[in-house]
Amino acid sequence: MIEIDNVSYSYEDSGRAALSGVTLTIKKGEFLAVVGHNGSGKSTLAKHLNALLLPTEGAVRIAGMDTKDEENTLAIRQKVGMVFQNPDNQLVTTVVEEDVAFGPENLGVPAAEIRTRVDAALRAVGMEEYAARAPHMLSGGQKQRIAIAGMLAMEPEVLVLDEATAMLDPRGRREILAIVSKLHDEKGITVVMITQYMEEATAADRVAVMADGKLLLTGTPREVFAETELLRAHRLDVPAMTELKERLNAHGAGLTDDILTVEDMTDAICRLLLKN
Amino acid sequence: MRDITLGQYFPGNSPIHRLDPRTKLLGMLGYIVVIFLVKKITVFLLPALFVALVTYLARVPLSYLVRSLKPIRFLLVFMFIINLFMVKTGDLIWGWRFIEITEGGVYQAVYITLRLVLLLSGTSLMTLTTTPIALTDALEKLLAPFGKLGFPSHELAMMMTIALRFIPTLIEEADKIMKAQMARGADFESGNVFRRAKSMIPVLVPLFVSAFRRADELAMAMESRCYHGGEGRTRMRVLHFAWRDAAAAAMFLAMTGAIILVQALWV
Repeated sequence: MIEIDNVSYSYEDSGRAALSGVTLTIKKGEFLAVVGHNGSGKSTLAKHLNALLLPTEGAVRIAGMDTKDEENTLAIRQKVGMVFQNPDNQLVTTVVEEDVAFGPENLGVPAAEIRTRVDAALRAVGMEEYAARAPHMLSGGQKQRIAIAGMLAMEPEVLVLDEATAMLDPRGRREILAIVSKLHDEKGITVVMITQYMEEATAADRVAVMADGKLLLTGTPREVFAETELLRAHRLDVPAMTELKERLNAHGAGLTDDILTVEDMTDAICRLLLKN
Repeated sequence: MRDITLGQYFPGNSPIHRLDPRTKLLGMLGYIVVIFLVKKITVFLLPALFVALVTYLARVPLSYLVRSLKPIRFLLVFMFIINLFMVKTGDLIWGWRFIEITEGGVYQAVYITLRLVLLLSGTSLMTLTTTPIALTDALEKLLAPFGKLGFPSHELAMMMTIALRFIPTLIEEADKIMKAQMARGADFESGNVFRRAKSMIPVLVPLFVSAFRRADELAMAMESRCYHGGEGRTRMRVLHFAWRDAAAAAMFLAMTGAIILVQALWV
């Protein structure tokens, strides 16, 4: 679905290389989390996925279309929906349903079809009651749900969330994560989630870790978070349960490396208790 | 601070609310012209009846119409007094040294005041029954033919939409910044006008910086949602004229015709 082929990118004003030699393939229907701390290049990478930024070197291909070719730009942006960090700065109009309609309107979809798409998109994010509300009256989490609905109305194949949960409270963060997981599981939408929160990354099929503009490692969440030392060396957090496991092991608990979630931990501790 | 209503829209579902916004916009423009056609006080009865009828149909409380006059109350008084003393035609009613009130002055003062009151209450009926966003749509549609002459009707409408969307956001943000400055000892309430204006600078600077950042991010979000100007763009809500709009137009023309007829025959 998405091929990132040896991509390097430098911002014009600073000349600093934000990405250097990143190669990554994202398969159709995959749920990929990209983690890394500030300045690791993860947001720059995200903006390459729908031609908002074009690689200085290398190439990005979406379903075989090169993002550098201007003819493809609209088709690529329709295929790859992007949700940004600040919920306030991505809603365009004063009525929720009209905002959801903004994308399909730009694509020139006929009026009746836009109506059905908007209703379906609002239902998919559980915001149908808010169709006639003004965006500034909604909470951050609700605004992000509207932003996701705005993408869904364009019927994309890939949903890129560029730190979409960073400005939300824990509840809003959970809501967004639940909706994204549901869309991935039920509609088979490919999800690329850029995040700082390791807990969110554990929900993904695959995790890519970025540091200093390079891809540090990729693998399943279990594989990636087993590399605690490498992550710490790059000032990255590990999920809370991984941390707990390490501390217990320091006291000789002898837990295995593949513990990620609270359920894993309870199971492991119960087994440990039964054994003793 | 969060519940900011823009304009003075009075929510409702009356026949007037449901009129095509283009009809209302054109109607308002026509109404302004008609008001200026009226030459005699007695003839103001006709547009007054028209306003009363529309108000009744729109189910807008009269208090809302009166409230729309509030911002110009000083102007009304001022205009009345100026005309009362400055116009010196007809018989003298009352005089004291150089101050004279004449019949012509009284007539002119009442005439001008009535005209202003009718002008304002009539036009605010439109903003009371039409949402700002519907007005924007109407404006875009009505100005679209001028696009061939290079007039950017779509861009204008998009700018208005974005402005309407971000005014509450920016007001909220200004409020937040002011509170943050007040927490650090800033004083926005005391001092004369200049002092107070000066104390707003530390609020405006961060507000502007943030507005530019927002504009940047919004532009990126719009681009990633395939925005590429008005060309090839469709709309979810399509405006179309209905029988209701024809009825409204007929009502308006009847009033205009009556005014012209009355003035030609009797006055």
